[in-house]
Amino acid sequence: MKLLIVEDQPKTGQYLRQGLTEAGFNAELVADGSTGQQLALSGDYALLILDVMLPGRDGWQILQAVRSAGLDTPVLFLTARDAVEDRVHGLELGADDYLVKPFAFSELLARVRSLLRRGSASPQETSLQLADLRLDLIRRRVERSGQRIDLTAKEFALLEMLLRRQGEVLPKSLIASQVWDMNFDSDTNVIEVAIRRLRLKIDDEFPNKLIHTVRGMGYVLEERIA
Amino acid sequence: MRRLSLSSRLALLFAACTAVVSLFAGVLFSHASEAHFVELDQQLLDGKLIGLRRALHDIQSSESEIRLADELSRQADLSLRITGSDGQRWYDSSAQLPDKLPQTPGLSTLNDGGTDYRVLNAPLFVDKPDSPQLTLLLDITHHQHFLQRMQHLIWLTVGLSALATALLGAWAARSGLRPLRRMSAIASGVSAQSLNARLPEENMPPELAELAHSFNAMLGRLDDSFQRLSAFSADIAHELRTPLSNLLTHTQVTLTRPRPIEDYREALHSNLEELQWMAQLVNDMLYLAKADHGLLSPKREPLELAQEVDLLLEFFAPLAEDTRVTLTREGNAQMEADRTMLRRALSNLLDNALRFTPAEGEVRVRIVDEAKGLRLTVENSGDGIDGALLPRLFDRFYRADPARQEGSSEHAGLGLAITQSIVRAHGGQIRCESGNGWTRFVIELPKGD
Repeated sequence: MKLLIVEDQPKTGQYLRQGLTEAGFNAELVADGSTGQQLALSGDYALLILDVMLPGRDGWQILQAVRSAGLDTPVLFLTARDAVEDRVHGLELGADDYLVKPFAFSELLARVRSLLRRGSASPQETSLQLADLRLDLIRRRVERSGQRIDLTAKEFALLEMLLRRQGEVLPKSLIASQVWDMNFDSDTNVIEVAIRRLRLKIDDEFPNKLIHTVRGMGYVLEERIA
Repeated sequence: MRRLSLSSRLALLFAACTAVVSLFAGVLFSHASEAHFVELDQQLLDGKLIGLRRALHDIQSSESEIRLADELSRQADLSLRITGSDGQRWYDSSAQLPDKLPQTPGLSTLNDGGTDYRVLNAPLFVDKPDSPQLTLLLDITHHQHFLQRMQHLIWLTVGLSALATALLGAWAARSGLRPLRRMSAIASGVSAQSLNARLPEENMPPELAELAHSFNAMLGRLDDSFQRLSAFSADIAHELRTPLSNLLTHTQVTLTRPRPIEDYREALHSNLEELQWMAQLVNDMLYLAKADHGLLSPKREPLELAQEVDLLLEFFAPLAEDTRVTLTREGNAQMEADRTMLRRALSNLLDNALRFTPAEGEVRVRIVDEAKGLRLTVENSGDGIDGALLPRLFDRFYRADPARQEGSSEHAGLGLAITQSIVRAHGGQIRCESGNGWTRFVIELPKGD
């Protein structure tokens, strides 16, 4: 999957490319707006990550050029300015998402994956599974090793999200936004507690733990062979 | 064009007033004296007319001419012309008399070649219709000269008194405005370093006392905001110093010698936590800075408050269940507000309430729909907060619990300040009350139209 990063700050750009490459993407980095626009217009990319302030042409101009060329490549904006007008402007021009600096890389990665998934609607699934954990989407039931587990509605939604994005590190802010629709920065530890309570039901009685904490980044559901 | 100074304006106004008043007085006086002269002349001429009529009662006789000359000689500035009923000039007492004389009966005034006359026309015989006409001419040049001199004097007085009042007025205005200049001197000395300067209100004239009072109040408000602002900057530096020094120390110590890979991982993780805390702090401060600049512009979307609160309570449910705290909500109201901002504001209050509620306590959210607006209260059972600390709760970086120090917890102490900014951006107010084992945050919001 080819991604294009247009970012003029060398350190930021290189770390973004490194992070995305290591996450399994084929990420290309350019530092100026004009080259960025040329590449973006080639249509070879599955996603564009644009900084707003760029030499040559700014992020908005590139977005405009891409959209008027009839391309619907998803665009993720990076901006250092948290001005409301910026967001409104970007979204009006057809940006798909934006992140305000400083942001966490895990957050960026999760958003990139969301945007890439958006296009390819997965076939209707009736159940989700990892190892011996099984989630029945139709009957809304969860079992592990054949053992029925009772979950609250929100716990079910949380587990469904973890299962759908298994192997991905999900930052707390993303979980709060997707499961509870809380779209703001918050220093509350609700998510930690919610995960702990889910673990109690899913993992505690089983030797093979599935929910893992990635310190400082978030949570991931995966099978780790000890 | 430059506006005139207040003192010159006052001086000019004074001068204009004096000029008008003295001009009026002068004109009145000169009219009065002229009228007085006319009256004197009338009396004199009337007296002379009687004498002349007596002298000329038998105009045909030769004696009458002698009597006439005698009568005229007693008044050197009086001349006489006698005209027949047919208009024929019979007699002129002096050769220099003007040819044309006013014919109107009674008193009139005539100027002829530099000489002024008061003229009285009267018939010689009162009861005869075809009587010869007597024209008495009184030389009044010296009167007129007097009047003219007086007029000059009046103009001079007007001019001089106007000038004098202008000068005196300028002086008076200048000294009268001295308190104002003192004010401006103090005002011009005010800068960020000297916001504690105040005008002396007690020895100000009453007209300026009010201004001085508002001026002082303004300085007070500025001083207060400035103090808060500088405290805020100092606090920012202070808050950031702890994690920064942790980062520096930890990174340097880690790099001083080769270590097992696990140690590096541990160091990076620890740094990551500090960095995330700093990022959160910076984001919160940016949010507050935006609020300070009036850049928080809430969207107005119709909201069911009960629904919003229930969603939040559901969000906080895991946290509450952990300490077996009961979360309840009562009441409902519709209002127009920004959903995300409102959730953020309430989430800070709920988070705060849950942190201070003892195990098995209670957190209640109440929505009261009133005619004026609506009231949202978030209350929690617990020890309560010292009344003296209540006003400071919404200060940035303020922590009611002294045990929780900066950098040591994930809470930077900006949550309540952010909530207050959001409530204010919606035109509302927030306050905190505490007592009887309850702590209560009250938000009052105007209804969206």
